[in-house]
Amino acid sequence: MASDLLSIAASGARAARGALDVTAQNIANASSDGYVRRSLRIEEVSASGGAGRIGDISLSGARIAEIRRNADSFLQGEVRRTSGDLQRANTELVGLRNMESALEQSGVFTAIVEFEAVLQQLAGDPIDPSRRAAVVAEADTLANKFNITASGFDSVGAGLRFEAEAQVSNANIVGAELARVNLRLTRAGVGSSDRAALLDQRDQLLERLAGFSSITTTFASDGTVAVSLGSNPARSFVQGGAASTLSSATAADGTLSFAVDGQAVTPGSGALAGASLALTELASVRGRLDTIAAGLADAVNNAQAAGVALDGSQGQPLFAGSTAGTLRVAMTDGRGLATAPAGAAAGSRDDANLNALRKSLAGIDPAQQLSGLLFDVSSKVAGRNVTQSALETIASSARVSLEQQSGVDLDAEAANLIRFQQAFQASGRAMQTASDIFDTLLGIGR
Amino acid sequence: MINLSTGAFYERGTRQIGSLRAQAESLQQQIGTGERLERSSDDPVAAARLRMISRNERIATVDTRNSQLAEADLSLTDRTLSSVADLVVRVRELAVQASNATLSDDQRAAIGVEVASLRENLVLLANSRNIAGHSLLGGQTAGAAYADNGGVIQFVGTTEVTPLEIGEGQSVVPGLTGPEIFQFDTANGSKDLFTVLGDLATALKAGGQGGADAGAASLVDLDAGLEKVTTAQTVVGARLNWIDLMSERREANAERVADERSNVGGADIAVTMSRLQETLTVLEATQASFVRLANLSLFSMLR
Repeated sequence: MASDLLSIAASGARAARGALDVTAQNIANASSDGYVRRSLRIEEVSASGGAGRIGDISLSGARIAEIRRNADSFLQGEVRRTSGDLQRANTELVGLRNMESALEQSGVFTAIVEFEAVLQQLAGDPIDPSRRAAVVAEADTLANKFNITASGFDSVGAGLRFEAEAQVSNANIVGAELARVNLRLTRAGVGSSDRAALLDQRDQLLERLAGFSSITTTFASDGTVAVSLGSNPARSFVQGGAASTLSSATAADGTLSFAVDGQAVTPGSGALAGASLALTELASVRGRLDTIAAGLADAVNNAQAAGVALDGSQGQPLFAGSTAGTLRVAMTDGRGLATAPAGAAAGSRDDANLNALRKSLAGIDPAQQLSGLLFDVSSKVAGRNVTQSALETIASSARVSLEQQSGVDLDAEAANLIRFQQAFQASGRAMQTASDIFDTLLGIGR
Repeated sequence: MINLSTGAFYERGTRQIGSLRAQAESLQQQIGTGERLERSSDDPVAAARLRMISRNERIATVDTRNSQLAEADLSLTDRTLSSVADLVVRVRELAVQASNATLSDDQRAAIGVEVASLRENLVLLANSRNIAGHSLLGGQTAGAAYADNGGVIQFVGTTEVTPLEIGEGQSVVPGLTGPEIFQFDTANGSKDLFTVLGDLATALKAGGQGGADAGAASLVDLDAGLEKVTTAQTVVGARLNWIDLMSERREANAERVADERSNVGGADIAVTMSRLQETLTVLEATQASFVRLANLSLFSMLR
């Protein structure tokens, strides 16, 4: 006889114990990040009878064939892709929002309007010293507001670059970690719990990496992964047990460029792509702010040069500096304002040159230009807001479907707990039966 | 079988409750501030419109101040013109008196003295100052309008007054220059009031038949001068009316702008309140059902 009731029952009890262990592990990790629900495949152990013993019963019980990891690689890929897009949108939106705040809260628009207003007020009495002083003071405020906006932009750019650099070094750490996981995966046994844990780790690392840049993955049959970063063209980042180095460089205008082992790469999506987009936008907005500041200073200074100051001398420049960051007021005394046209007598109440100044300011209309700049930035923020919330919905639904597919359902685990407990008890009962049979046999002939 | 993962249930729950809370908070903020827009990106078009509205409002306050200034200067000019007119009328009375043949030379000389002092007063009136302390009738000059040049009163100002903007691209000339009041044409050629009064005083003081004749002859010139002064008063009155009209327009505009501001950027309290109530109801329901569902675990059945 090729079967042994006691060992069959023992193998059943062992398999049920293993199943209970897996269930307990699932319950323990119900809220662990990146944990994928394990399930057990139990298979029958049996052998066919040898020659001449075809009719024999030959059963050997059950064994744990595999600890299965219930991960859907398509859903995981979706989560990586959508979370990369979301990260890009988030980073870009934060950058744009900060730019909007820097531009709006510095009050540079109000300062321009105020400057226009004091110039108009001066027209009421062009030789009034207090009105002249008000113009110089307001010009000073205006220059300060431009400086504050420019330094606000500087810190927005510095923040974006600092974060991007931290993310580049994080990406390198993740790449090295992936390479190590790859090495260990080649040594882990197929179907082992060790391998399942390594695969969890691998997928978690890939998801983190996808948060920085778009990635292309190629999975080998042993579970190892080859990763390429970016797009147009994608650069190989992790290959087997070796990882490359991602680096970033800052251009003169503050924009960022990236390279893998010295070869240029475009992140495509992820936080690095977001930072890159935001920095490009920042450079263009800064350029426009500088143009507005320079235009305003030129218009005022040219008009100054065309007229005469209160003492009849030729007007001197009111502003110095040609960018938003360097604009300052060069005049200290309101008497230097050239309200009267060239050739007018000292102390003249003729405001022809002041009118010319106001006309040329109205011609370039810095307030309208700045409002336009603010409108462009804020409408970009509004547009990106919509994109971001759409991407957030997409990413969260991808995550929820992955969680539904691979996450732990406590109710199902509770049911499993009862089921495998009963299986264990049943196997125990089978052992009891084997013992009883043995006792019966021993009792014969007593 | 669809696997209802516990993690997914909690994630969905927190997301829903979080977004409802954020919505309620934003509505609460709108009610608290009365503004629909917290930052430009909430509604870029409305925010740009609001910026332009506030700019126009700021410029309008300067327009208001400038038009008050113009009004004050024109009122001062008007008062000065009334004094000048009174003075000319008094001189005309004296001239009529002096032309009476029954008057003695001494009496005429006394009248001459009075005319001379009235002439001094006229010079003072011509050199009066506006509210900013500048010469009222001197145009754009920094100094006085008239100077005494060895007995001859000469206009030393400029013949132009700087127009003042009073909003909507309109401007007003906030005053008159000396020649516009004191210089006039008669049958005897171009004259000014100072010369007429001076000549009259001199002739009256000289006495004789010449004094009586001068009294009668000056009446034509004085009438022409008075007409010039009253014409100037009409001009000033018309300008004051124009300023009043523009002020009314500005006030009407300010009302319209305030209306537009609340339309574009203000939060409708009734609508916002009821939307907040709705959001809160949904939020409470979601929280209650979440707690109930979270308690539904098979583990609580296991003994």
